Amino acid sequence: MTLAIVRRTAILLAGVLAASIVVFAFLAVLPGDSAQVALGVNATPELVERTRQEFGLDRPLVAQYLDWMGGVLHGDFGVSYVTREPIGPQLLDRLGVTLWLVGAGMLVALVIAVPLGTVAAVRHRKPSGALVSGLAQLGVAVPAFLAGMILVQVFAVRLGWLPSGGWTPPAHDPVEWLRGLILPAASLGLVQGAVLTRYVRTAVLDVQREDYLRTARAKGLRPYPALLRHGLRNAAVPVVTVLGLQLATLLVGAVVVERVFVLPGLGSMLVDAVAARDLLTVQGIVLVLVVGVLLVNFVVDVLYTLLDPRLRRS
Amino acid sequence: MARTVNLVAGAVLVGLVVLVALVSFAWTPHDPLLVDASLRLSGPTAEYVLGTDRFGRDVASQLMVGARTTLYVGVVAVGIAALAGTPLGIVAGMRGGWLDELIMRVNDLVLAFPALLLAIMLGAVYGASTLTAMVAIGVATVPSFARVARAGTLQVMSTEYVLAARAGGRSRAWIAGRHVLPNISGLVLVQSSVSFAIAVLAEAALSFLGFGTAPPTPSWGRMLQESQELLAVEPRLALIPGAAIALAVLGFNLLGDGLRDRFDPRLEVRR
Amino acid sequence: MRARWLAAAIAMILTVPACSAGSTASVGGGAADESTLAVGFTAEPQNFDFTTTDGAAIPQALLYNVYEGLVKLDGRGEIVPLLAESWTVSPDRTSYDFRLRTGVRFSNGAPFTAEDVKFSIERVKTDWTISLKSAMDVVERVEVVDPARVRVVLSRPSNSWLFSMTGRVGAMFSRSGVADLANEPIGTGPYEVASRRRGDSIVLTENPGYWGRRPDYRTVVLKYYDDATALNNALLSNGIDVISQITAPDSVPQFEADTRFHVVQGTTNGEVVLAYNNDRPALRDARVRRALTLAIDRRALLEATWAGRGTLIGSMVPPTDPWYEDLSGYYPHDPERARALLAEAGVRELNLRLRVPNLPYAVSAAQVVASDLSRIGVRVTIQPLDFPAVWLQQVFTDHDYDLSIVSHVEARDITTFGDPDYYWGYDSARVRRLLERADVGTREQQLADMRAVARTLTADAAANWLFLAPNIVVARTEVTGFVRNQVSESFDLTGLRRAEG
Repeated sequence: MTLAIVRRTAILLAGVLAASIVVFAFLAVLPGDSAQVALGVNATPELVERTRQEFGLDRPLVAQYLDWMGGVLHGDFGVSYVTREPIGPQLLDRLGVTLWLVGAGMLVALVIAVPLGTVAAVRHRKPSGALVSGLAQLGVAVPAFLAGMILVQVFAVRLGWLPSGGWTPPAHDPVEWLRGLILPAASLGLVQGAVLTRYVRTAVLDVQREDYLRTARAKGLRPYPALLRHGLRNAAVPVVTVLGLQLATLLVGAVVVERVFVLPGLGSMLVDAVAARDLLTVQGIVLVLVVGVLLVNFVVDVLYTLLDPRLRRS
Repeated sequence: MARTVNLVAGAVLVGLVVLVALVSFAWTPHDPLLVDASLRLSGPTAEYVLGTDRFGRDVASQLMVGARTTLYVGVVAVGIAALAGTPLGIVAGMRGGWLDELIMRVNDLVLAFPALLLAIMLGAVYGASTLTAMVAIGVATVPSFARVARAGTLQVMSTEYVLAARAGGRSRAWIAGRHVLPNISGLVLVQSSVSFAIAVLAEAALSFLGFGTAPPTPSWGRMLQESQELLAVEPRLALIPGAAIALAVLGFNLLGDGLRDRFDPRLEVRR
Repeated sequence: MRARWLAAAIAMILTVPACSAGSTASVGGGAADESTLAVGFTAEPQNFDFTTTDGAAIPQALLYNVYEGLVKLDGRGEIVPLLAESWTVSPDRTSYDFRLRTGVRFSNGAPFTAEDVKFSIERVKTDWTISLKSAMDVVERVEVVDPARVRVVLSRPSNSWLFSMTGRVGAMFSRSGVADLANEPIGTGPYEVASRRRGDSIVLTENPGYWGRRPDYRTVVLKYYDDATALNNALLSNGIDVISQITAPDSVPQFEADTRFHVVQGTTNGEVVLAYNNDRPALRDARVRRALTLAIDRRALLEATWAGRGTLIGSMVPPTDPWYEDLSGYYPHDPERARALLAEAGVRELNLRLRVPNLPYAVSAAQVVASDLSRIGVRVTIQPLDFPAVWLQQVFTDHDYDLSIVSHVEARDITTFGDPDYYWGYDSARVRRLLERADVGTREQQLADMRAVARTLTADAAANWLFLAPNIVVARTEVTGFVRNQVSESFDLTGLRRAEG
């Protein structure tokens, strides 16, 4: 057990190191540089050169990389060329917004998917089950940003019930924060929920065919209680896996939703930083993302072991 | 019964997209790129059945040519992902050991690397285009194929006929070609169909952020992006490409489900 | 076992608010509090230091509101006193004597004196890095006469110097307030920066020691939106009170029809230019450039891209400049003549790359341009470039383009045609001479020479001035006092009033 964890951690670290080098190399070949962007039109070559020196962009790439990595190991992500502020605290701030968004979106998705997927599976031979499956299929097919735009038109612009966008930190005003989170979480969660519904349905269908559930049914348990007592835990194994994978791919969805709802999250920070060629910031964001996703994978692996009795024994 | 419905409905929707795309090579009602300010934002008429956009271009013609872009998007992205991911998955599954470990860990890394960043970076180097968006989506999709292919390969490798072939001294390549590939092709096909749907959605999202298809090439994603500011004034312009995207994605997903029901070996075993 | 991961999950959720709690507060819609105003913008300042970071966003937020200069530009484009009460110019027009307003303090408490003027002007030469600093090259020396009087001596007469003093280059800094310009701006204006939330908003609060009229709005929240639609939605759903600049013009009728709002429309300094790379063999021949200019229906282009809101200009001069002449009819839309001109120039086949920033206005206009040019047989390939980085590098610096479309927003930027190294690739000895003479000459000579420059550029078809971007402000009806024509670099909050109703 301990050995396995050490091994996984080593893999994690190697992955992070590899990712950091790849990101650094990719960004080094990008056309355009931050000194030029900061100085804007009409900047003379001498001024650009002077600013490049100030930013330390004239040093060899390897030196720049080692400097950056050395800082990161001490928890120092450097100072942004563009904002002239330390990157670490900004990252944390933006990460908070994105985590709330993704978390709330996931919650919406689960609330939709678990009951609907179960119903669709239990009634898969009846029209109501087919209807749920059909709705889920349609939900998967709608682009998240279109869903978001329509939600804004209806609930913010026409009805005026909820804000059209913007972010209020929960510590500042919890009510406003919640109101602002509803629409973004819904547009992210509806589509994700539709995706998840299909997986829950498949998982429950598989479980229903298992012998222990047939036995439970034969003993006289009604379909839903039988599932609750014996099935859901087993159905949760593949669903948790998918959830983990989805979490990894949710970022693009989150960027788009952050754009529609003007949320100051990690996604919009990434897009802005790339546009400004704020390389240190981009590196920091990507590093955090990669570590985050790898960590999620790690957690999913652990959950997998906990949920699946067969795997636990081995 | 329901299985055939999925397959048929999916095939019909996908067939429709392909048909429209093919017809658009030979004929469209109007030149989809011709701008005419005097016609801008006109509602549906007999001549312009879906109306015109804010440049006075015919929406129906754009939609037809846009179907080409959608298919192009899917074919390139899925092509890259399948051609790279499937062999990797087979190798990982057949060889096992450190190679398997290495491939799957790199896989995890690619999965963790935001496809969006790749799209932005490729766009910055080569100029944002359908192709850069597709390469990014394709690369990001490689891990899905590798996983599916590996899982399928592992299953095939434990079957008796493969064990027999190995006992008979057949080479790995022979086994891969004779047993593994034919047996997992169904799974790969299913994955292709599903990935196709995801690629279409991803192109729309990238176009929305300005990293997708470059103008003036009509693309459903860009049509949606260009009309989003008119959603309150002229909802038709956003809803038409939105519906087209949704139907295409629905088609590919249904096709994937239908194919899965036919090919998934797990289900066959149980039946 | 299960309880443990549940606890871990709860712990994770609980740590999240801690991340965002450390940040500054953002105030929501203005409806909550009468003395608070929320204004929506599209371009967010990445820091507060306009001495080393270029772009319109920082001066838009800070100039006149936080920083003040000796003089300012009013809504009619006239130079009026601000921190200078009055000034006199020597007969040879090289020496300016400013009498300063007394009792003015910076927001850090330091008094504003002639020493600060000297410090601020000299600092442009030594510490600024953005290109605009060249506006101070003409300053020979700054003399402190007494604490309330300062004399600026120029090396030669310059008409543009005093004008540039109305912009960010003329901003007055405190000798004790430049330690952290990027994060802590200190000026003499009616507002100071209270807090900011990156990617979201900047909060300005009134400067309690302000020397002038107390602003009606004690707190102004500048809210930033990535796209035009989100900005419109925010006003429609009461998230903000003002849209500083509409960039989705098709939505304007929606606001005009709504009694909650009023729309203020005027002009800007933003010439949207279809740049011809004059240095390219294919475009060196003026007949070819004239043909391209004749082929484009600018009226229709304005209609298609900006719903007809905007002004056709025909040269690099907005109507608010004193030497404005309407040259928009110089090249009427005439594809026939365009084709004839191309034939005359011996051009059989022309393939051009239109490399534009990937911004909505440029991408929209590019599609109309490509369509119009296709009608005279010119093939255009549109290439949207990552903006600003790639566009600046490849088009602006390396001149690697045939055609481009960019909005040139700086005041009086017609002078860029006097720089042969500028990305226009335009080199005319006559234009350079005229521009030099206009800067040194008397008012009358300046007007005559600048008109001649504009006419020469148009006759040469040095570029194609597609249109002048409109200034469209939409606000709640009770918010009044907006500057109609956006000619300064500032979104001037100082004139805003609250109508009683």
